Amino acid sequence: MSDLLVLVSGEAARRMKEGGQWGQITFRVSDPDNVGAVIAVSDGSNPVMPTPLHSTNHFLNAGHARGQHRWYRAAPELHLLWWHARNTGREVALEVFKEKVAGRWLSPSAGRNYVALTVATEAPAEYPDISIPEMVAWYVTPDAACPVAIDVVSAEHGFPQLAGHWPTTHLAESSIMLVGAGSIGGAAAHALASYGVGRLVLIDPDRLLSHNVVRHVSSAKHVGRLKVDAVKQELAEAWPATRVDTLPVDAIAAAHLIRPRLRHVDVVLCTADGVAARRVISHLARRARTDAVLACALQDGAIGEIIRLRPWSDHGCLTCHREALTARGAMDPEPALDLGYGTGTTHRPMTAVGGDLHLVAQVAAKTAVATVLERRGHPDQKLPGEHAILGLRPALGWAPPFDLNRSGDIRWLPHSPPHPGCPTCEEP
Amino acid sequence: MDLTKAFATFQRTVDADIDQVKLARERRDAFKRALKGEPGVLEVFGSGSLARSTQLKPVHDVDLIAVFDAAVHPEWGQVGDSSAEALEVVREMVKRLLGDNEGTVAELVRLAKPRDRAVKCFIDPPEQDDAFTVDVMPVLRQADNTLLVPSKRKRYWSTADPENLIAQVEERQQEWSHFRPTVRVLKQWRHGVPTKVKSLVMEVLALKCLPTDKTRPLALRAFFTAAAVEVNYGVVDPARHCGAIQPDLDTEVLRTALESARDIAEKACAAAADGDSDGAALLWRELFGDDFPAPEEKSSGTAVGPFLYVPRPVVDAPQG
Repeated sequence: MSDLLVLVSGEAARRMKEGGQWGQITFRVSDPDNVGAVIAVSDGSNPVMPTPLHSTNHFLNAGHARGQHRWYRAAPELHLLWWHARNTGREVALEVFKEKVAGRWLSPSAGRNYVALTVATEAPAEYPDISIPEMVAWYVTPDAACPVAIDVVSAEHGFPQLAGHWPTTHLAESSIMLVGAGSIGGAAAHALASYGVGRLVLIDPDRLLSHNVVRHVSSAKHVGRLKVDAVKQELAEAWPATRVDTLPVDAIAAAHLIRPRLRHVDVVLCTADGVAARRVISHLARRARTDAVLACALQDGAIGEIIRLRPWSDHGCLTCHREALTARGAMDPEPALDLGYGTGTTHRPMTAVGGDLHLVAQVAAKTAVATVLERRGHPDQKLPGEHAILGLRPALGWAPPFDLNRSGDIRWLPHSPPHPGCPTCEEP
Repeated sequence: MDLTKAFATFQRTVDADIDQVKLARERRDAFKRALKGEPGVLEVFGSGSLARSTQLKPVHDVDLIAVFDAAVHPEWGQVGDSSAEALEVVREMVKRLLGDNEGTVAELVRLAKPRDRAVKCFIDPPEQDDAFTVDVMPVLRQADNTLLVPSKRKRYWSTADPENLIAQVEERQQEWSHFRPTVRVLKQWRHGVPTKVKSLVMEVLALKCLPTDKTRPLALRAFFTAAAVEVNYGVVDPARHCGAIQPDLDTEVLRTALESARDIAEKACAAAADGDSDGAALLWRELFGDDFPAPEEKSSGTAVGPFLYVPRPVVDAPQG
């Protein structure tokens, strides 16, 4: 069995730090996991007051409650002993432990061992060269106090931890629209949130169906729900700092709903299937003077592709880019585009494997985030180009620039200029 | 080399001479005193770079705005000849109050010529280098506190809000004492860009792209990085009344210059982070020219040469 771990919520820690000399503690425990979390604390012999777990859907919410544990105010050197004992696999003699703590002592007895938390707020300053915590945990037996692992949930946890190492503020202020919440889009949503993007707007009209689950980040428990709702719920659990708005509409049919929203986002990331939806997003983003990133898999999942479209005077739209590739003999245009209105298929069913699609999503999310950050003055977020081709299952014989011959290879290419007369690139 | 001192030394070469600024302000104040007493004139205040303290040397012009009472001039603000008429009223007023021949308040202005939006008042003799002028623009204040400014050429009055820019610059300066000086550095830098770039373009880019929570080197690096992107979306009046500040700006040329500056600034900051302040100074000198101080020669007598950027090894301290 793994070592015992004690979890302490920020509220519980605050009450003990601001309290008197000692108090009682109630834990909620899971014996199979060997974990206990503080769920109620008293200050001395005052009533024991609840201190909720830091997450409302935490697995310990279903655990057993156990009272009659203690917390004590302690001398800083006891915490040094805890640190030393933890690192050397030793224990602290009960007499020594008892000497170093204040408050009403609870004697352990055979069959009545208990968990004690000790608080020494001066400890970190007393021993600045080593990380001595101000709160530690012990398993107290009639012979000794054994140091126990502890995790205190701080308000500084989450993205504040990365401040100074990552531009958390700039990303928290950023807003990204994600068109398509499918296999690439769902994974991209998680990736964007993991970068600290403050707001996501998810757009997709589809429901998660059973055949999607093999590739989608959402599990089978969400089958039947709108994909945007499934992803939103998962993000709320995994990345609560990211605000998520949803719009369950088709990008082509509801362009009028997307157009005004594009003016209030930093980037639109389009992972929608088919040529038409991507063209619509390319056009709308250009008109809104908003950067667009388009991500997809080509050749039945053999190639991943990410295109960044910037609404700059010398950068072309998606159509200009595709025409340039077609003119070079690199790409066949989508045959359905030439069929009459209402005929043909809109896109090929997805055939790639989930892991590869998630890899494309990660690169697409990185592209979108780098686009935001470069504009905010971060030179380490410059990209090598505007069009990335990613080898997933490359095969010989494709025309340049798709002639990758190794899986994992990423080739970055420049933008294509606008074509004269392009209805998207030229000002109306 | 102490980079902070080097930037301070460089700043002095960029900033306008203090006596020249003082003289400009005295002349501006003479105009304000004279015009404020006139019937129909409600306010007189400075605009332009001198009002924002972002002026480059040499200071050879001052912009003044005279707010007139719309009740006294009910026809002003209309399409037609009222723009030219307003300018003529100002010209006559300046001549009478400040003309060098019997001006009633001061004998200062030798010539006052109405231009498109303002009356240009010539003070120094024409043969003097950088002859000094004061531009006085008549305006009307609107209910939303914006201004109506005339255009003689277009024969209409348009909305503008120069006080918005003054306030924004002031706000940034409150946040960071190096803001205005750094704007002056950026305005100076633009003279090396191989296309015409209006100084106001740099000032507006600075408002958008120059952070106010960093050291000067890091702020400049962030500026050049962000501005090289931002310039592609258009540099417009920050008050959103007057559109593009320089419609004929060659965006691609300016972007390329900003990207080059960004790359040099990035190397300079990397050198400084490695403790090589001499190398960093040489790179800043490459970016800003010979006015940026060169590192002192070493006692060994080694001559200061071009900076060689040495790649650093990666530390094998894996994190999982």
